[in-house]
Amino acid sequence: MKADIAVVGSGLAALVATRTLQQAGRNAVLIWPGLSSLYFTYATVDVLGYADDTTVQPVEQPEAGVAQLIADHPEHPYAIAGLDALRGGTALLTEWLGEAGFKWQGSLARNLLLPTAIGTPKPCCLVPDSMAAGDLRRDEPIVFCGFSGYEDFVPELAASNLARAWGRGDQTVRALRLALPGFEPGRLFTSIDLARSFENEAFRRDVATGLRAVLDDGTVRIGMPAVLGLTHDSDVHAQFENEIGHPVFEIPTLPPSVLGLRLFDRLRKHIQESGVEIIWAAPAHAAEVSDGRCRRIHLKSAGRELPIDARAYVLALEDTVDGAMRAGVHDVIDPFFHQTLAHHAVPTERTNESLFKPQPFASIGYPVTDRLQPGGEDGRPLAENVFVAGGAIAGYDPVGTKSRGGLAVATGYRAAKEAMAA
Amino acid sequence: MPDSSTGVVVIGGGSTGAGVLRDLTMRGIDAMLVEKGDLASGTTGRSHGLLHSGGRYCVNDLAAAIECVEEGRILRRIARTTIEDTGGYFVSVSEEDEAWEPRFVDGCAKAGITCERISVEEARRREPALSKHVRTVFWIPEDGHLDPFYLVMGNVESARRRGARVRTYNEVTGFLKKGNRVSGVKTRDAMTGEETTIACEAVINATGAWAGFVARLLDVEVKVVPVKGVMVVLSHRVAHATINRCHKPGDGDIIVPALSVAILGTTSVRVPHPETLPIEWDEVRHMIQEGSLMADGVSTARAMRAYAGVRPLYDLGAEAEGREMSRNFAVIDHEQRDGIAGFMSIVGGKVTTYRLMAERVTDLVARRLGVTTPCATMNVPLNDREDELDQLRNRPAQLGVPKPHGDELALQSLVCECELVRPQDVKPWFEDRAVRTLEDIRRRTRTGMGPCQAAICSYRLAGRLVTDRHQDGPTAIHAMADLLETRWRGVRHVFWGSQLRQAQVTAGIHLELFNLDRQLMAGPHPDPAHAGNPATLTTMAPPQPREGETPVEVATQR
Repeated sequence: MKADIAVVGSGLAALVATRTLQQAGRNAVLIWPGLSSLYFTYATVDVLGYADDTTVQPVEQPEAGVAQLIADHPEHPYAIAGLDALRGGTALLTEWLGEAGFKWQGSLARNLLLPTAIGTPKPCCLVPDSMAAGDLRRDEPIVFCGFSGYEDFVPELAASNLARAWGRGDQTVRALRLALPGFEPGRLFTSIDLARSFENEAFRRDVATGLRAVLDDGTVRIGMPAVLGLTHDSDVHAQFENEIGHPVFEIPTLPPSVLGLRLFDRLRKHIQESGVEIIWAAPAHAAEVSDGRCRRIHLKSAGRELPIDARAYVLALEDTVDGAMRAGVHDVIDPFFHQTLAHHAVPTERTNESLFKPQPFASIGYPVTDRLQPGGEDGRPLAENVFVAGGAIAGYDPVGTKSRGGLAVATGYRAAKEAMAA
Repeated sequence: MPDSSTGVVVIGGGSTGAGVLRDLTMRGIDAMLVEKGDLASGTTGRSHGLLHSGGRYCVNDLAAAIECVEEGRILRRIARTTIEDTGGYFVSVSEEDEAWEPRFVDGCAKAGITCERISVEEARRREPALSKHVRTVFWIPEDGHLDPFYLVMGNVESARRRGARVRTYNEVTGFLKKGNRVSGVKTRDAMTGEETTIACEAVINATGAWAGFVARLLDVEVKVVPVKGVMVVLSHRVAHATINRCHKPGDGDIIVPALSVAILGTTSVRVPHPETLPIEWDEVRHMIQEGSLMADGVSTARAMRAYAGVRPLYDLGAEAEGREMSRNFAVIDHEQRDGIAGFMSIVGGKVTTYRLMAERVTDLVARRLGVTTPCATMNVPLNDREDELDQLRNRPAQLGVPKPHGDELALQSLVCECELVRPQDVKPWFEDRAVRTLEDIRRRTRTGMGPCQAAICSYRLAGRLVTDRHQDGPTAIHAMADLLETRWRGVRHVFWGSQLRQAQVTAGIHLELFNLDRQLMAGPHPDPAHAGNPATLTTMAPPQPREGETPVEVATQR
């Protein structure tokens, strides 16, 4: 198969890169190596929540925070991608979301501070409309609402913890729990079950009636698990809010992530409808390089070999979650050039003793040139026409700084621009 | 004035202590178990779970083998729902192994172990996982898997039904004495620091690898040699039956299919202290290499975690080391040996023979107390009922795999999808005073023991700490973090392949979606005892009856 530019990856970086190419009128093919992290844990686009891994004070202005980070750490992928790539990528994504029918808000100027399902405040940059009313920079009291039989959002836990963490006093955060209409107690609910049910108007009305009956006069806003519709997110949320008569905000739950599913499925569909071909579940296993350029990559799709010949390639792998990198006992090998990206004498070296500290394994990836090309040992690019984005870039771990989304957007955008110029 | 009194204090909440507690109460003796950690948190819960037919010991340790034969048969009667009756293979993979075979066959005959040589073809037909290296196969129908957690809980719950009391997280710090007679123990709560005294007529030291430390409080010596064993857990069963290498027992020569996983074991390293159990990479690698010699799929299966346990080998004074030492046990009557009345130690032995060990030491204490009721533990099932399965095991995972469709089980809410644990399986334990951490819930229900290593269920358990145990949010969050951290310690040792993907999902949930790392950094822990001591697990306060609720019956009120 021949293509102008091939993008490999299943996460946000790959989507942004593909959209960038498509907007520029280029012929792109999007190749998914495996399941997207968007299915599991995506909810918001976090640009920079904390200045480093150890500060407790959240970043208020993500753009200014990134500018500072670039000044302090010229080797950081944000510095390589550049602030303009973050701005350009964010503008492109925001516009795309609107065009695809999403209602999102937020900007690089200010982080929102949203309550999580365990009741911690978390800085987020771009968020769905349906989450925004949870912003803790406002003082208004919160009622967390959960459902009997649904184990993946516990309103009592979120309320009790937030009451302490938020520092507005116990009176301002409450929890309540509704029995869902028409179900036996003790039956299993998954987020996806519930999200489907909420698309049903009669069900939604029954829940709203039940909820209104137990709300007291002091209610200002209501936090609910993110199950307000599996696909028609903004409609379901707006209608439910109307029926309740109070602002309602969604809170991301344990996987599967309904917010991630909504985003992923609609952006995928939108990009396909606008002419981009997507190749599913096709892990790459080799690249052919001659004269310093990558001529072909080899995929295995549905059990057969599928060679892709493109003029340029964007490798937007997601750390390890999509399974593209091969983590052996001692060596982590990249699937294209078969470079040893990391060597560890013992597997424990890949981890910190604590799960809650930065993990060495999260930084594994390609060292990159200042144009995001994968670099070899001599610092020269492995191939001039290959560009790396997202978690595939070595040397950073976005977990502690809550910057995964912003890095995906900035590097995805920049890598696509470079690919077009290559 | 002591804070409470009982007939016999049993120190140690492993299989031996739990067995002793049950045996005492079945003979009508009032008893209390005191354990410095949780039940089954020492040697027992860190065993590899092999129910020994005796085959492993029949050449070098005939007496231990004979005990295993007899006890294995008894356990199949009294604890059948803690046992997976898999049967086992002993396989030769080298010339040296083949040279061992006549001794093995002879040993089985002497010990009374059923042993049938089958052709490699027949063995492969039954067990396709057997590797190409396998030269000879013996079928040993009485090897199996023994769930050490359920074994302990089954014994303890049976004893509690007869009025026994249990105090977990209470370490014995000293003894009360009247002349040369022990008249009670002093304990300290590991989490609250509260000190109490318990008066009693006798004390049984059933602390296994820790027996020497307890005895030292009375200035007497009990020589127990702590010998470490490392095990690796694979994410599926690999084989249908247990597989042993047919050779002189060595490292990495056992594969035990255990519920939803397989356990590779083990090593044998003498350690200076029973709690110094480092897991070395060479040990982990060796387990997998050796296991691969016996069964295909061992090296390609996903290794989920590694753990280390400690054998409590009793030093009979011989020159032997580690595996050379007998797996036999001994009852020490300190009145006779050291002139201290009312104190006995039970040392050595193994999980398979826990009941016999309990019987022997309980015989001695009963004699001293003038109780003539004979032991009946070999006849009465752990659930104390003849008619149905042990209620502890009345769970879908143990009753058979639920049908994916059309089965009502499939519609039921689950706390842990990996191990099929339902809310009603965990709920009673939140009302149990002996349960103090989420790890304790794990040991009682298997919640968090599957492939995700608590990434998902830890949140649900934290929720239940608030709703069912009435803890505040910060306590619940810290307890959740502790559970994840404890699991992580085992995950790190087998960190390759899919483990990286799993870890990224775990971090994605807890650090990115929940921002848990910031809460751990920012908030002082609600429990001051926890501050500055990350090794201590978050304590849950005891269950408190709330207004309008029926008070929970806790052990100490019985």
